[in-house]
Amino acid sequence: MFKLNLKIALRNLWKNRTITAINVGGLAVALSAFILVMMYATYETSFDKENPNYDNIYVVGITYPEFKTYYTAAPFAKAIKQNFPEVESAGLVKEGSFELTIKNGKNTLFTNKILAADYNAAKILNINPNGGLIKPAGDVERLTYLSNESMKTLFPNKKDNKPEMVGFGASNSGITGIIAGSIKNNLHSNFTFDGVSIANELGKNDNYDMNDYTICVQVKPETQVVNLEQKITNLYQAELLKSKAGKRIDEVKGISTFLDPLSNLHLKPKAGNDAPYKTLIALSVLGVLILVIASINFTNLSIAQATKRAKEVGVKKVLGAYRFQLTTQFLVEIFMQCFAATILALILAELVLPNFNNLFQTHLSIWHINNGLYWQLPLILGVITLIAGIYPAMILSGFKPAVVLKGNFSTSKQSYWLRNGLLVFQFSVAVVFIIGLFIINSQLKYMSKEDLGFTANQVVYIKNISIFNDPIKFEPVREKILKIPGIKSATVATFIPGGINGINNYTANGIKANIDFVDVDFDYFETLEIKLKEGRLFSNEFKTDTINSAVINESAVAKYGIKNPIGQTIRGCNIDYKIIGVIKDFKTQGFETAIQPTIYTIKDPCGGYKTQIMLKIEESKMTEALANLKSQWSTINKLDGEDFRYQFLDELYGKLFKKQEQLQSIFFAAAILTIFIAILGLFAFAKYITNGRMKEIAVRKILGASDIQILKLLNTSFFAIVVIANLISWPLAYILTKKWLETFAYRIEMPILPFALSALITICLTVITVSIQAQKAVKSNPVDALKYE
Amino acid sequence: MIKIENLEKVYKTEEIETTALNGINLHVKEGEFVSIMGPSGCGKSTLLNVMGLLDKPESGSYKFIETELLTLNDRERSNFRKRNMGFVFQNFNLIDELTVFENIELPLIYNKVPAGERKKLVNEIIGRMNIVNRSGHFPQQLSGGQQQRVAVARALVTKPKLVLADEPTGNLDSTHGNEVMELLCELNETGTTIVMVTHSSHDASFSNRIINLKDGHVISEKINKGRTEELI
Repeated sequence: MFKLNLKIALRNLWKNRTITAINVGGLAVALSAFILVMMYATYETSFDKENPNYDNIYVVGITYPEFKTYYTAAPFAKAIKQNFPEVESAGLVKEGSFELTIKNGKNTLFTNKILAADYNAAKILNINPNGGLIKPAGDVERLTYLSNESMKTLFPNKKDNKPEMVGFGASNSGITGIIAGSIKNNLHSNFTFDGVSIANELGKNDNYDMNDYTICVQVKPETQVVNLEQKITNLYQAELLKSKAGKRIDEVKGISTFLDPLSNLHLKPKAGNDAPYKTLIALSVLGVLILVIASINFTNLSIAQATKRAKEVGVKKVLGAYRFQLTTQFLVEIFMQCFAATILALILAELVLPNFNNLFQTHLSIWHINNGLYWQLPLILGVITLIAGIYPAMILSGFKPAVVLKGNFSTSKQSYWLRNGLLVFQFSVAVVFIIGLFIINSQLKYMSKEDLGFTANQVVYIKNISIFNDPIKFEPVREKILKIPGIKSATVATFIPGGINGINNYTANGIKANIDFVDVDFDYFETLEIKLKEGRLFSNEFKTDTINSAVINESAVAKYGIKNPIGQTIRGCNIDYKIIGVIKDFKTQGFETAIQPTIYTIKDPCGGYKTQIMLKIEESKMTEALANLKSQWSTINKLDGEDFRYQFLDELYGKLFKKQEQLQSIFFAAAILTIFIAILGLFAFAKYITNGRMKEIAVRKILGASDIQILKLLNTSFFAIVVIANLISWPLAYILTKKWLETFAYRIEMPILPFALSALITICLTVITVSIQAQKAVKSNPVDALKYE
Repeated sequence: MIKIENLEKVYKTEEIETTALNGINLHVKEGEFVSIMGPSGCGKSTLLNVMGLLDKPESGSYKFIETELLTLNDRERSNFRKRNMGFVFQNFNLIDELTVFENIELPLIYNKVPAGERKKLVNEIIGRMNIVNRSGHFPQQLSGGQQQRVAVARALVTKPKLVLADEPTGNLDSTHGNEVMELLCELNETGTTIVMVTHSSHDASFSNRIINLKDGHVISEKINKGRTEELI
């Protein structure tokens, strides 16, 4: 019987090969999108999952009144381990803060990702150098390992795992060190690195004032984490009061700790951005929607073709087939199509993967056994077969033989409504994506055209390891740089626009608040062309500027409510700064974050290292100036020596837009996909409907209907479907896009045009699709249709 | 063999109730060839559908060799039908996607006849129906008469006790129609009971007994002497 059913199925599919191709093709496209989303979701949710203690590892974070952070004081790790028996182990890690140059002869490695970890942390985080984890002992305080890739750069011919001597910094620096071996850098981990430095103990002389490390703890299984969290908070508050950090009781009360599971760290860290999580959710919803739309095509077309199969069902029932046999037969047919679609989808996914990996910065492969596809795919295949097939299978197998064999057959009103309902749903989703795409485009256009308040063009950022906190130290460097033709200005600061600023506590106008700080040198504002609102900028004509002068932005003036800021005092880091100027707000953090109140000072003992050199260079002399800088850099900045490296500031700042551009690409793909699949469905459905109305069209033509009237007749119901779909989608698209726009501090007004355009596009596509089908009916000879009937 | 008593069947739509069968009583002996005649809408097809277990009446009794069939559930009806009955339709109702051979084989498959025996039985009946050189063709490639022969072959291949024919010559010209009627007669002569619905008195003349229906009642019953005598 199976063989015979298979024959019927194959012959049927072949007979309706256009519709079959549309059905299978549409589903394959949707499935390939879904496969990519599934692989992405599996990848994103399984960072560090290979760690045997995955479920018991937490990172200790601190909640301050204004923000959360993973940076905490080194001695706290020991305190946690000593006080709580449920904590099996506690360790410290720290990511490299500036770029390091490592050399072996002519081979140079630039790296800012040297992870420092103590032995405990290395054990907790499963950091295993090739040849095993060794605890540094005796005189050896640290063992440094380089990733296999880094090792290859420095020692291309190295085959063994023996220690090697390398140089740090410029070749004339004279600093050398030992690399103990190599280590595999796991890209599927929260802790990636070019190298790792394992210490016996980290932060030995640190106190509670210095929040430089991240603490990882491994707790015993079945530990009550909420209780432990509270106990750790109590301990932290007690330690802060005991220490010399100088915190008052009321200040300490506002500080608490939290334990963030290792499993949260990648997607939704408590102290950080949960955007990757949101992207994942959005992508998953998208994948499911696309798949549902394609499944709907199946359901719709299978019901549409029911009339053609009615006789077969009737005959089989007369000959003694049970209903469940027929249901199974139709399900198997749909399964076969779904199976073919899955194979096609895998091929499509493989073709698209390189672009996908590029867009999402992932390393996905269909051929990795641990990507979960081996169980997800059969499951999905089963589910879509059921979703797409069960309703048509029930309808088909439910035909009454006495009725259908007489030819008195018409699909019921119920399935008519269902089919139209499904078409409306498909188009509604497509309309939402079209509107979304237009609005994302408008916002991105606005972001690229809107005045940022500063100019990143022709600003070159030089990577440097010399610390220029004292302006006197930077002055000779600036002098030498400015001698190069084309360089207009040079400055150095702790942070560059587009990066993250520091935060410190400042008091002004009787108000105490944590605000952003940037430690700068002369010509900072001039280099970035930041506009002055009142007062003046830093100048070496005023000696006090290097002692206690401050420039603040408009937001800081607003935050402290200072009426006439020039000449007033703002206190921080035990210094009373005199406000000498107010600059206009500029968007250092892109468009999502509101401009933060910020203070700019030259002297700031509590700040960071001024290492970020920025130069403004004339566009016409850019190449020449950069060549000169490269050749002269070893004399300009001895510590960096021959290693001159630079980046254009506008490129760095542009990275802030990467996420939005990613979203734009996703929406573009989704809009095209949903439209494509919906139009495929419509095409096949229109073909079916037109064929079913051939007799009616023939009669109408004989009675004198014009071609236009017939085209209109066939288009009317589809036109109504698309209009209804638009009406349903508009409020939904409005709410969703409004929510998205609200994630921007600086955004466009909600435009109306995308809504009108989505209607225009869907209506045009529908009329074209239906008319292509209707054209055949219009052109045919009515006599043929009637004879056929 | 068949004992039908007080059979009633009513069709209901939103507004109208139509009584298709109104207290029908009918007995059919084993080996008989009965024609049911009457004007359009008299209930003859409904009666045939009820006899073929394709439709359920509101009330009455339908006994087939002492087995009451109206109390059976859907599955039991399917089983009974496939073991005991064969059908021939006016519009042939062959499956377009299957070849002649496969169409005839289908009821044997549902009766779980082993493949080897199926092949033998199908080839045997194809030979009897004189369609050997058509066995690999699809229905659309055959003439109406040939299609009806295939349909008859399909009805007979399981050797049913009862063959139900619904206007078997309705779509055929007179030559092909006569061929089909002769086939049914031959079949009847081998002992198969046949109940046929027809408009044509010519076709009815091939049967032993003619039952006339009107508005759901049996209004007359006539023994076809010519045929009966011929048989004697």
